[in-house]
Amino acid sequence: MNPKDSRQNTQRIKMKTMLEPYLFILPVFILLLFMFGYPLINSIIMAFENYKLSNINDIYFNNFENFKKLFGDSDFLLLIKNSLVYVVLSVAGQFLFGLVLALALKQDFKGRGIYQSIVFLPWAFSTFVIGLIFRWAFNGEYGVVNDVLIRLGIIDKGIAWLGTPGLSLAVIIIAMIWMGIPFFGIMILAALQSIPEEVYEAADMDGCGMWQKFWLLTIPYIKPTIIITILLRTIWIFNSFDLVVIVTGGGPANYSQTLPSYMYTKAFSGYDFGLAGALGTLLMVILGLYAVIFLKLSNYDKAGDF
Amino acid sequence: MKKKLLLVFLAAIMGVSSLTGCGKKEGGNTAASASAGNAKTEAKSSKSGDSLRFLDVSPSETRQRYYEETFKKFKEETGISVTYESVPWDDAADKITVLGASHQLPDVMTTWSGWLGQYTQAGWVIPLSDYIGETRSEYTEAVNKLLWKSEEERYGKIYTVPDGIMVKGVFVRKDWAEEADIKLDPQAGWTYDDYFSLVAKLTDSTQKRYGVSYRGARGALDPLLTYLQGFTGGNTYDAEGNILINSPECQEAFKKWTDIYLNGYAPEDSINWGFTEMVDNFTGGLTGTLINDSEVAATCLANMEASQWMVMPMPKSTVDNKIYNTINAPYSYSISGDCKNPDNAWKLIEFMNRPNNNIEYCKLTGLIPIKKDVENDPTYGLDGPYATFVQQLNDPNLAVPTTFGPFDYTDLHQGMFHEEIQKYLLGKEDANKALSTITDELQTRMKKYLADNPDAKIETASVLSK
Amino acid sequence: MTITKKKRLVNIVRFFVLGFNFLIVILPIYWMVITSLKTNPEIINAQKITYFPEVFTLENYISLFNMLDYSSYLYNSTIVTMLTSICVVILSILGGYGLARFKFKGKEGMLLFFLITQMIPSILVIIPLYIMFSKAGLINTRFSLFVFYMITNLPFCVITMRSFFERIPYVLEEAAYVDGCNKVQTLTKIILPVMFPGIVAVFVFAFIGAWNELIAGTIFINTPDMWTIPVGLKSLIGKYNVQWGALMAGGVLALLPTGIMFIFVQKYVVEGLTSGAVKG
Repeated sequence: MNPKDSRQNTQRIKMKTMLEPYLFILPVFILLLFMFGYPLINSIIMAFENYKLSNINDIYFNNFENFKKLFGDSDFLLLIKNSLVYVVLSVAGQFLFGLVLALALKQDFKGRGIYQSIVFLPWAFSTFVIGLIFRWAFNGEYGVVNDVLIRLGIIDKGIAWLGTPGLSLAVIIIAMIWMGIPFFGIMILAALQSIPEEVYEAADMDGCGMWQKFWLLTIPYIKPTIIITILLRTIWIFNSFDLVVIVTGGGPANYSQTLPSYMYTKAFSGYDFGLAGALGTLLMVILGLYAVIFLKLSNYDKAGDF
Repeated sequence: MKKKLLLVFLAAIMGVSSLTGCGKKEGGNTAASASAGNAKTEAKSSKSGDSLRFLDVSPSETRQRYYEETFKKFKEETGISVTYESVPWDDAADKITVLGASHQLPDVMTTWSGWLGQYTQAGWVIPLSDYIGETRSEYTEAVNKLLWKSEEERYGKIYTVPDGIMVKGVFVRKDWAEEADIKLDPQAGWTYDDYFSLVAKLTDSTQKRYGVSYRGARGALDPLLTYLQGFTGGNTYDAEGNILINSPECQEAFKKWTDIYLNGYAPEDSINWGFTEMVDNFTGGLTGTLINDSEVAATCLANMEASQWMVMPMPKSTVDNKIYNTINAPYSYSISGDCKNPDNAWKLIEFMNRPNNNIEYCKLTGLIPIKKDVENDPTYGLDGPYATFVQQLNDPNLAVPTTFGPFDYTDLHQGMFHEEIQKYLLGKEDANKALSTITDELQTRMKKYLADNPDAKIETASVLSK
Repeated sequence: MTITKKKRLVNIVRFFVLGFNFLIVILPIYWMVITSLKTNPEIINAQKITYFPEVFTLENYISLFNMLDYSSYLYNSTIVTMLTSICVVILSILGGYGLARFKFKGKEGMLLFFLITQMIPSILVIIPLYIMFSKAGLINTRFSLFVFYMITNLPFCVITMRSFFERIPYVLEEAAYVDGCNKVQTLTKIILPVMFPGIVAVFVFAFIGAWNELIAGTIFINTPDMWTIPVGLKSLIGKYNVQWGALMAGGVLALLPTGIMFIFVQKYVVEGLTSGAVKG
């Protein structure tokens, strides 16, 4: 750290420049490696063990028993289907709403600051509170949603949103989209604003139309942001289970249960950490594959760089 | 600005080094104890013997205040201080499991009887039979002949001391019944058929009135099991461990019970209702009846007018005219396997269950006292709010049915039981398939349990009267 | 003529998009606030749903304070969240700078690792951490929450910070070295002031994440005096009833700090992200 000394000793300068990046990055890296690495390895090992929290003195390797149990579960296909529907619709909804919002916000207008403060507000909410609001609003008897729909003449009898297969998952997806629009909106808006004005001016001179500009200029410019945001968001949403637990608890009969929320209930209600570990390992493999394929397909050349 | 940033920067470096240092220490510990086969670490033994940790699994403002007062008095008398810990009921089972697995259980825990199969197997609770010893005679008949008897039958020893007793009853909207011109007499009793017809009559969906707080989610099988046991003499298994509750009569009964939901006598949402929603929607005015524990009377007293509600006894079995009714202590006291000083923990339990403390507690929480000395308190007389419950306890026809079994069924209770019923209600599965999936699994577990424990005696329904 | 017409059309579409989005966002919030101001009989009147309270009342807020030790939750939440956000900001400045400015062995691997951390289901982290914490006697401490919130927020923040750094021209730094500053001095004196919006963005990410977390809060904490706001709120869902009015009131109060902060700093967040949005 002392410039005078180092100037006297080239050997030490070399050492130091070699070590320097590590000085910056290692605190974070070691912390994360330890805090995530240990659980990661632990859960992969657990996946191959008979590991029941309720019987912790009787832990032994059982090879692929947990995976067999998992794939043998009669609801397994349903869970996969639910997870896919949940992730795809949530991410698509958030992305579309976020993109449209960001495009509308790109140009300055009077009161944009205040407007932005309000429409981005869902980000500041806790999932717990959002879950409660939607659970309450979609309540079959006291819910405001049914009341509005009846008043508008769209339905003539209240719908049991949370008690009907399909609809209960829909409520979760709606809540998820609601809370995720700001994230996409902010990310895309930021990307839009970083496009230099001159690019558009040049396009105008060439006589490009609005759509051409959008597809040929805007999209390529914000593509990296879109790819990364979708990738991250997909991973987060796929892994998140709190909304499911709060709004429906996975019911009725697992029709709104996703793989992670199922893992949560298995880990806790069944206290079967072996099974939960197996499911967790499976989730990571799925997400890993997804990340690789997604980055490949989207021509994002810097794999691992997000 | 710059100065501030520099300060923050320094603080960070310090923070980081302390964090990583700390992390390493933890890592060492983990590895060491993992190799020692999850032995208890010494960290805990440093805890002094004259303080105790107490866990409440159903915290409320009232309960917390009661316990903190009681612990203060206990400290004055014995010098032992007690910390009040709590976990919301919904998370309680999860939390205790995490605590148990990491050997962090508090000294005295409130436990629900359904968890005992798991806890006794894992060694998370210790037997209390020796502590109870002579004092057994101070407890009421119901405790001795029902609760402790069945605990001894199931687990060989007594593991819990009841905090109070709760009996089930049918809470009814008195005003709705009067409007519908239905006469209800708690003293005379009634049958399940009367109950089903009441439910139908109270339903008026145009007024948003439903006959039943139907339990569709976790715990859905509990009241249904009691109903099914009305056809099997109160038993779940026969002497060989074969399941009884899937007989043709039981399958009919299963359909009759679930018809409540299918016929629209319960809100459609209720397929997803747990305990909370049932009670909440009864006191809130959406549903007309609610099968639940005497404990709920305290909630009704607080939230409803006296003219709005009444309690009917549990309906009689149409087969043998007996009232099958579960009798439980809601949050029995137990001493955990991690307790360093069980003698002190026992002192606390004994203190809490002194007649004057117990009666205060029972009145606060809507339970029936467990000590003979306070059994005849006027609150529990035949014109008090608990009349129907006490009356059932004294009824010669009362029989306490058996449970799901002596093995660990927590996972089924949190999953398969209600999921199978829900599948039937949603039309994804027929009734026989739903019931037999459940009963097959129960029978498999029972048989395995019997194979592992050749000396085990299969419990049968018990009666209080001589 | 056609151009102005087109422009007007675009403006109309824009107006509708903005209006529609506004409604989507505001309606659930409106419903929460309105519910919190109704009396309980009005809330659970299934026959008549009111869109505006018939009787305005603060009883839900009052009963919230009576039922819960709100000030102690606020204290716990504030301490844990502030500490988390500050440490996350500092660590991600360090990490982000290291990743942006140097080429070194294992960089790709590190980045990949950051991505992988995002794929680990949180429940798989919580359980082993619980066992570790309990062995270290850290259960039921604010410290345990602080550590958990820090590690869960760090990966994203480090990466975000890294792209901020990449947007700052290296010329700026070189100039400082020429003036005789060392790396740390350059970082604190030259770069960080330029990065202010980006730092705010990362701070807000971490703050919101930590402030709203519930699961770890219920698992790591045993005694009510250590609860954070979400855990305290959750306890309102009792065994016998859900206090919707009080819950909604609690939701409003929980939103206030993050909401107000967000209103003031969202400008910086967008600004900060703008400078780091597209990477060369």
